[in-house]
Amino acid sequence: MTVIREPGFDKAVARVLRIGAFAGFAIMLAGVVGGIFDHSVVSRRIEIIGVEVMLITPLVRVFTSFILFTHEKDWRYSAISFGVLLMLLLGAVFGIGEH
Amino acid sequence: MTSVLLILLGFFAGLVGALAGIGGGIIITPILALHFGIPIREAIGTSLVAVITTSAASSSVHLQRHTTDIRLGMTLELATALGASITAYVVAYLNRSALEGLFAAFLLWGAISLLRRRDDDVGDESSPALLQAAAEIPDYTPRRYPLGLGASLVAGGLSGLLGIGGGPIKVPVMYLFMDVPLMVATATSNFMIGVTAAASAFVYFRRGDINTAVAAPLAVGVFVGSLIGAKLSPRIHSKYLIYLLVVIMLYLSGHLALHLWGTLHA
Repeated sequence: MTVIREPGFDKAVARVLRIGAFAGFAIMLAGVVGGIFDHSVVSRRIEIIGVEVMLITPLVRVFTSFILFTHEKDWRYSAISFGVLLMLLLGAVFGIGEH
Repeated sequence: MTSVLLILLGFFAGLVGALAGIGGGIIITPILALHFGIPIREAIGTSLVAVITTSAASSSVHLQRHTTDIRLGMTLELATALGASITAYVVAYLNRSALEGLFAAFLLWGAISLLRRRDDDVGDESSPALLQAAAEIPDYTPRRYPLGLGASLVAGGLSGLLGIGGGPIKVPVMYLFMDVPLMVATATSNFMIGVTAAASAFVYFRRGDINTAVAAPLAVGVFVGSLIGAKLSPRIHSKYLIYLLVVIMLYLSGHLALHLWGTLHA
C-alpha cells in the first residue's frame, strides 16, 4: 500500500521546491533587469547564479527526500532516493561532452 | 531588447502551457531555434531551465494538495533520470539536421495527439478533477512497476533528447497501466519532470549548451506565466486554446521541416 497522505513529508518537499523556485526566479530577475539597463558583467554573473540555483533545486529536493526517508527508517526508499541522487551527481560531475 | 522578447516568449509559453496542461518546452525550443538564431542543441538545453522552473513552481502547489505520490515518483525517477542522462550524452553526437528533423516530427505528433486528446482528460493538468483540491483520492496500489519503469526510461530519454517534460507518456502509463488515479498520476508526473530535466540539464550545462543569457529572461517569464495560468485555468475554456496551440505547433513543425529542407539542399 502506498502511503501518500503524509502532510509533513509533502510540506517539507514542497517548501524546498518553493524556496528554490522563488530564489532562482528572484536572482534571475535581478540579473535580467540589471542587464537591460547596464549590460554589465555583474548582471550576467547574477543571471548565471540564478540559473544555477534553479538547476540544483531538484537535486536539493532529492537530497531532502533521502534525508527524510532515512530519518523514517524507510530503507527501501532511502536507497531509491540515493540512487536518483547518484544519477544526478553523475551527470553533474561527468557531464562533459566533446563539443 | 532581446531580453524583453524572451521574457514575453517565456510568459506566453508558461501561460499557455499551464492553461492547456502541456509543458512550455515543446514550443520554446523551436522558437529559440527558428526566431532567435540559436543552434537547436543549445535551444534544447536552454529550454530545460524553463522546464525545471515550471515543474518546481507547479509541483510545490500539487504537494500542498497532497496529490503527489512521492514514493512512486522517486522510484520512476530512477528510470527517467537514467534515460535523460543517456540521451543528453548522445545528443552531442547527433548533428543539427537530425535533431531538427526529430523535433519537427515530435511537434507534429504532439499537435495530433493534442487534438485527439480533447475529449478525455488524460495528461491534462487543467482538468477539473485536478482542480478539486480536496477531492477524495481512492485507495490504490501501483502495479506493473516494470512497465512503468520502462515507459519512464523512454519518457526520460525523450526529455534529454528534446528538452521536454515527457508528461504525455508518463501520465497515461501510470493511469492506465499502473492503476494510479489520474489526479495522482498528473501531479506525480509533474513532480518527476524537474528531476528528469535536471539530470540532462547538468550534462548540457557542463557541455556549454545552456545559454544563461537566454535562459534567465525566459525562465523569469515562464515562472510568472505558469503561476498566472494555474490561477486562471479554472475559468478559461480550453477548447480554443488547444486549437491555438495546435496551430502554433503545426506552424513550428512545418517551419522546422522547411528549414531542414533548405539546409540539406543548400
